[in-house]
Amino acid sequence: MSERIIGILTEGLGKMLLASIKVTIPLTIIGFACAMLIALIMAMVQYAKVPVLSQLSRLYIWVFRGTPLLVQLFLAFYGLPKLGIVLDAFPCAVIVFSLNEGAYCAETMRAALEAVPAGQVEAGYCIGLSYVQIMAKIVLPQAMRTAFPSLSNNLISMLKDTSLAAEITVADMFMAAQKIVGRTYEAFWLYAEVALIYLFYSTILTLIQRRLEKKLSAYNSREAAPGSRRLSNESD
Amino acid sequence: MSLIEVKGIRKSFGNNKVLDGINLSVNQGDVTAILGPSGSGKTTLLRCLNFLEKADGGILTFDGVDYDLGRIKHKEIAAIRKKTAFVFQSYELFSNMSALDNVMLGLTIGRGISKEEARKTAMEMLDKVGLSLQADQYPIQLSGGQQQRVAIARAIAMKPEIIYFDEPTSALDPELIGEVLTVIKNLASEGMTMLVVTHELNFARNVSNRVIFMEGGHILEENSSAEFFANPKEERTKEFLKNISSQHDV
Ligand SMILES: Nc1ncnc2c1ncn2[C@@H]1O[C@H](COP(=O)(O)OP(=O)(O)OP(=O)(O)O)[C@@H](O)[C@H]1O
Ligand SMILES: [Mg+2]
Repeated sequence: MSERIIGILTEGLGKMLLASIKVTIPLTIIGFACAMLIALIMAMVQYAKVPVLSQLSRLYIWVFRGTPLLVQLFLAFYGLPKLGIVLDAFPCAVIVFSLNEGAYCAETMRAALEAVPAGQVEAGYCIGLSYVQIMAKIVLPQAMRTAFPSLSNNLISMLKDTSLAAEITVADMFMAAQKIVGRTYEAFWLYAEVALIYLFYSTILTLIQRRLEKKLSAYNSREAAPGSRRLSNESD
Repeated sequence: MSLIEVKGIRKSFGNNKVLDGINLSVNQGDVTAILGPSGSGKTTLLRCLNFLEKADGGILTFDGVDYDLGRIKHKEIAAIRKKTAFVFQSYELFSNMSALDNVMLGLTIGRGISKEEARKTAMEMLDKVGLSLQADQYPIQLSGGQQQRVAIARAIAMKPEIIYFDEPTSALDPELIGEVLTVIKNLASEGMTMLVVTHELNFARNVSNRVIFMEGGHILEENSSAEFFANPKEERTKEFLKNISSQHDV
């Protein structure tokens, strides 16, 4: 490796990390948080079989899962201005990623809600709980546990997919790499470098996922879970 | 005076008439066993009495108050459920909570009782079913018999006036049936009013004081348990008792 390449890679590392902190990570976090909120609402509406809203929710999921993310980005950023709706690149990306990811997570959450045994819901009614109390204390905690592995996988995919935002002029980490390649023509080294940074971030997420899964596994494993033994005067 | 009285309860699923105008009354302290072949509507009857299923019609008199089962209101359902408890064949413990939390939930969240007080009551109830040492275990860590005993603790913690049991031992391995029946028997001796769907003839004979025999959505025979077993009146009852006891001999 020549000194020139080391120089380019060092400069690249700084710029890419900066772009990741300024754009890629915020886009992932904000986008995913909104996606979770959308997904939760869509899944609950379907679980509760709310008329009209649950059909609308199916329609939304059908459209967003049935069309490519890149096409959705282009339609929102280059297409909508033709209808007079002009969005800045970053908010546009946040909206599209939230809606796209929300559709996938909604399906995961709906399946997880429906996997909670109906008998436990009935048992909840029998001890005098309301629908809202049953959802909050029995159904959602179990559904979240079930959905957790898929949802974390979705988050990791989304982190990588944010590189598509560069296509609508969002100055993310991948855009930073492309710019330096345009100047230096070192496509191999720079794209390898940006790939490694994505790998680094997704590895961190995977490690966090494993940690949390172990913690959450308390009631799914026959062994006593870490921290499940409580002193009798301690409250939850 | 009877604690509950049911008049003409009806329920169909589509064209399938499952409860065809059943009348029934339960006195305070009664332990009533409901027997009957599969599909005779026993589960549906209990579920309608606790509104897990909506009856098509009929009158329920509970503590002297009449309720029209065909058009019952949310408030009335809540009022009646305060006085009743249900024990399911498949336990239905909340799998995201320890045994103790299962018993506490109805007290804290449902009734708004303070945590300390609820914990005290819940521990007493677990003690009553012999599971105070398992308080911190999750349902999956317990045997079927233990799970059903936690479910009974959860039921009695609410201080119900009547407990409905739907085949409380049918999902259990034979060696675990005894421990659950013993708990129910102890409740009976304390005067708890219970309506128990069961296939356990010995339980019906020895613990219950009344027996109801159901078939095809009707009550075919109803008597004190001593009379029911000694002198069954209906041919169909005799046949049922013969079949079920010969199965047990195998
Ligand atoms: N939710 C439902 N939808 C449609 N049909 C039902 C439903 N629940 C029960 N049934 C029907 O009602 C009839 C009575 O069922 P039920 O479960 O009350 O019988 P059971 O006496 O409890 O029988 P078992 O001894 O097998 O538990 C059966 O024909 C059953 O198929
Ligand atoms: Mg049944």
